[in-house]
Amino acid sequence: MAIRIDSIRECLDGVIPCTIATFDAEGMPNAAFLSQVQFVDHEHVALSYQFFNKTRRNVLANPDAKVLVTSHLTLENYLLHLRYLRTESAGPLFEQMKAKLAGIASHTGMSGVFRLLGADVYRILDIEAQPGNTVPAPPPPRNALTALRRCAERLDRCSGLDALLQAVLDALEAEFDIHHSMLLLLDAPRGQLYTLASRGYAPSGVGSEIPVGQGVIGVAARERTAIRIGHMTTEYAYGRTIREGVRASASRSGVPDGLETEIPLPGLPQARSQLAVPIVALQQLLGVLYVESTEDSRFGYDDEDALVTLAAQLGAAIHLLQQQAVEAEEPPPPAAAAPATGGGVVSVRYYAENGSVFLDGHYLIKGVAGAILRTLLGEYVEHGRTDFTNKELRLDPRIGLPDLSDNLEARLVLLQRRLDERDACIRLLKTGRGCLRLCVTRPLRLLDL
Amino acid sequence: MIEAAHATFIQSGVAISVATCGPARVCHVVRGIGCKLVGERVAVFVPVPASTGLLADVAANGRIAVVFCQPSTNRTLQLKGRDACTIAAAPIDAAIRARQLDAFVLEVEPEGFPEAMVRPRFDYPPEQVVTLAFTPCEAYTQTPGPDAGAPLAL
Repeated sequence: MAIRIDSIRECLDGVIPCTIATFDAEGMPNAAFLSQVQFVDHEHVALSYQFFNKTRRNVLANPDAKVLVTSHLTLENYLLHLRYLRTESAGPLFEQMKAKLAGIASHTGMSGVFRLLGADVYRILDIEAQPGNTVPAPPPPRNALTALRRCAERLDRCSGLDALLQAVLDALEAEFDIHHSMLLLLDAPRGQLYTLASRGYAPSGVGSEIPVGQGVIGVAARERTAIRIGHMTTEYAYGRTIREGVRASASRSGVPDGLETEIPLPGLPQARSQLAVPIVALQQLLGVLYVESTEDSRFGYDDEDALVTLAAQLGAAIHLLQQQAVEAEEPPPPAAAAPATGGGVVSVRYYAENGSVFLDGHYLIKGVAGAILRTLLGEYVEHGRTDFTNKELRLDPRIGLPDLSDNLEARLVLLQRRLDERDACIRLLKTGRGCLRLCVTRPLRLLDL
Repeated sequence: MIEAAHATFIQSGVAISVATCGPARVCHVVRGIGCKLVGERVAVFVPVPASTGLLADVAANGRIAVVFCQPSTNRTLQLKGRDACTIAAAPIDAAIRARQLDAFVLEVEPEGFPEAMVRPRFDYPPEQVVTLAFTPCEAYTQTPGPDAGAPLAL
């Protein structure tokens, strides 16, 4: 029976370098070690093109090559007969390989030396298992399909966005033994991804932001493809660059220097494995699911496939919930009596330029979520209102939702979680489908700047 | 005769891959399991079970490319020859392979490959080993970096 490349994908994880054999016009062979062979589909692989060397000259002249790959689990060798098709120097495949190569380079002391110039795509003509001594493969840590099925069942039981977010992170922990995860949604007009839920970090980092295109998460969003790195690399680490970017953005927004509008991104300082998967529904990017670990090579091709599938279900569920929210909002419940407020006055400063809100000088939130809070508090202070509907917020020009299809529910969950985490004197409660109540326990003074 | 530094390097227990190209312009590759010098020739040991196509290529045209890499440093060297042929095994060959395998195990253990896994993979009985000898006619450094692919003096 013919061997399929997808049944030996562990050979393509870059643990054991592969060897490529090519030949020149004279028929003289050339052998070279390769840092990376990437699985593309069951008929194609891609090899990293880093230097214009003899191998490259040979395949451009004679496209047939043999690549010897080795399983790091059994040390079994397979000989791939390949035919060169094309080189991609941008796009999802290129970015997947570039990120993975950065990890390999860092792990092998080759940072600054390994640089991907292109992803050379080859058709697989044949795969031959080489006879030889092998060792038994260790049992896999889990059956990824079973784990995925159980995750799907957990998600299927959720009827609201908040519960869905919780269920995804619970499922990753229980079924895939993944203890550090984040869910980020896209703020398309601002080109930012904001953290809506996380697991395994203190503080949670809810509300923190990453520009699209930055690091593993941002590249996964920009290219709409899974990005997986098996070793620690500073090239894709989140750190100073993002913080500086956030500060620059804050200073442009009119918020005075010294006022911190940054929520630190949660994350392991020594992440050795990272996997970011775009959440897409109906070809629209909704966000990114990100997991990480302090172990090397923690996430394999099977984990990537499982999380991509899970993210597809998550995207569909988010989209469906959003549609339901728009179409079937209930009439608001009778207004509740405003609760008694006591204690000192809390100042609420609002910077209209970027929607940032500060409670007694402490940064709370910005963007659309900040504009929502300012609107609710204005209604509360001026008219004593505490009950609101999503529908009115969706249409309120003061909030300035990018468009009707924007995920207002996600902004409300974000705002609710930030208020809860800050143990603020302001809380948001959901009182029905599409209805919410503002609970304020101290007198407020609103300052618009 | 190859330079003394190259000679020492290729016999130090490094990873070895051997490639050939037959008359039909199809390559074969196997992992080598050791190396020695025979006068001015380089001899590599290859496991018989995986080498059917490779040995046929060598018998047909004698062309061979062998790449040597030290995993811990990425130092890499390629040697090519046009006169490869099988030669008879020598009594000392098993001891040479054993010494180089010991060194190779020490190289890859820190990378998470325990001795119990690596040793059986590269340890073949003499009757399952063929020795291919060739006179190096080209040498290249293939250590990753700006000089990768540069020819070296033999």
